[in-house]
Amino acid sequence: MSIIDVVQLSKHYGDKQALDNISFQLSQGAPVALVGPNGAGKTTLFSLLCGYIQPSTGSIKILGENPGSSALFGRLSALPQDAQFDPRFSIATQLNFYARLQGMSNAESKKDTERVLDMVGLSDVINSRPSELSHGMRKRATIAQALLGTPEIVMLDEATAGLDPVNAREIRNIVSEHAHNTNFILSSHDLSELERLCEQVLYLDNGQLKQHQALNNDEHTRYLTLRMQKNHDEFSTKLLQIPSISDVQLTQDKEYLITIDQVETMDNMQFESTEMQLLKMLAENNWHYAQIINGKTLENRLF
Amino acid sequence: MIRLFNTKRGLLALLAFATIWFIILYYFVSAASDIIASPTFEGMASQVFGALGVFALLNWDVAEFSIYWLVAVYFFPMFAILICSDQLCSDKQRGTLRFITLRATRLELILGRYLGQVLIISILILMTILATSFLASVRNIDLFYSSLTLGFRVWLELLVVVLPFIALMSMLNAFVSSAKFAIVIVTLFFGLGPLILALIKYQFGQEFYLNLLFPGEQIGEIFAQASSQTNHYLLPLVQTLLLLVFSYFAMKREPI
Repeated sequence: MSIIDVVQLSKHYGDKQALDNISFQLSQGAPVALVGPNGAGKTTLFSLLCGYIQPSTGSIKILGENPGSSALFGRLSALPQDAQFDPRFSIATQLNFYARLQGMSNAESKKDTERVLDMVGLSDVINSRPSELSHGMRKRATIAQALLGTPEIVMLDEATAGLDPVNAREIRNIVSEHAHNTNFILSSHDLSELERLCEQVLYLDNGQLKQHQALNNDEHTRYLTLRMQKNHDEFSTKLLQIPSISDVQLTQDKEYLITIDQVETMDNMQFESTEMQLLKMLAENNWHYAQIINGKTLENRLF
Repeated sequence: MIRLFNTKRGLLALLAFATIWFIILYYFVSAASDIIASPTFEGMASQVFGALGVFALLNWDVAEFSIYWLVAVYFFPMFAILICSDQLCSDKQRGTLRFITLRATRLELILGRYLGQVLIISILILMTILATSFLASVRNIDLFYSSLTLGFRVWLELLVVVLPFIALMSMLNAFVSSAKFAIVIVTLFFGLGPLILALIKYQFGQEFYLNLLFPGEQIGEIFAQASSQTNHYLLPLVQTLLLLVFSYFAMKREPI
């Protein structure tokens, strides 16, 4: 079932084209990553999906409704980039208010506020004002507002930016724990984070949708990404001696993208044997690897 | 409401308001009403009120309200402009509006904020009315009942006067990004607006009745309380409605 339908969407601010005729359809399922360089149009797309701004041309349907429609209240939630709570009221007061706006009773809103603050690890500062909290805590509180109720779609724009590693991991855990019943759309510059969480990716560049694809490897050619602890002479040459490896590219320092050809003709055992041969070669040459990834990294897919 | 009555900044603003009105009521309304009510100065009061064109106010049962009216009918519109200058601006600037618009329509937002401001102003007017009634009752306890009934009428009239001013600030809040800028625009609107209208009238040689677009246009007529005409109340109500409709359409397309 399609949850978001975007057709020929464009947005320009004066002469600047922020989004240029993009179309895509997102289905219910695993989290979707929205990636792209600064100024690519990610936040503009988020704002259009949330109904904060109007498109110049094109149409958007979210769960069959127009963005900003009252039919989406409580069904769509978001963490807009840089949005802040009102500094004059406590976190609990504001979350209660938002929950009430979503249609909860006073008792339900209090209970739900406690639940979402507990999820982001802020139970102990429930009655604090935003000004009394650190940047990371304020960010987590705004993430909590996106989790109020039972939204069907949650859009998080740079959710983990500015969070310490422990809290960033907590947020990732929340996303993965709820991914089975909530559709998350995540924007981040941390590609390894998106790689862990997302199965679909929307890649925006200069206002254009460059790629809209599933991350899981369904191509005929298989890839391995090998990260070594050190660089070694003759490394690529030796790897190419393994019959099923057709190409080895140094993608960045100590990281190699290995192409395994004719996988469609090989059975599973043969594929495993390629990996076994690789590991054997590493051991024989006393070459220490740091990480082996089945497939391309998101970074290698996009750039 | 909570921002005014339950935050430090709001309570400070309330304290400033109370101080201003204490000064107005104690040093101006109370002293002047003593003079008006005194048979010794009856002739002088008639002359002064006659010169001001507000002779009808002398017929009011409670002298305190005659003076109160002269002050309040100009004070509250200006006060409404100041206190209602930030209906949406700071929330828009901070991004808080983005949380709210995921849960409320823009019409609900405009109307909710507008009605909230109306409620605040109406409470503040009521507080000053009650204080004036108290002053009158202290002077003469027999005036207690008549000061309450007259006070209610004055409260209603003042409320009608301020409604379009609050709506004007709602409309400006849909466009501008700061309360200060909203005040600057409204100052230019009331300052330069009449000049522009005069220029248009001079240029085209005929009346376009554009002055009806200005909130408070009827204040000059109701100030004297000489007659009670329907359009004195109809004009501000129509202005309010139009300004709110315009605010909604402006807000509907405004990026937040």
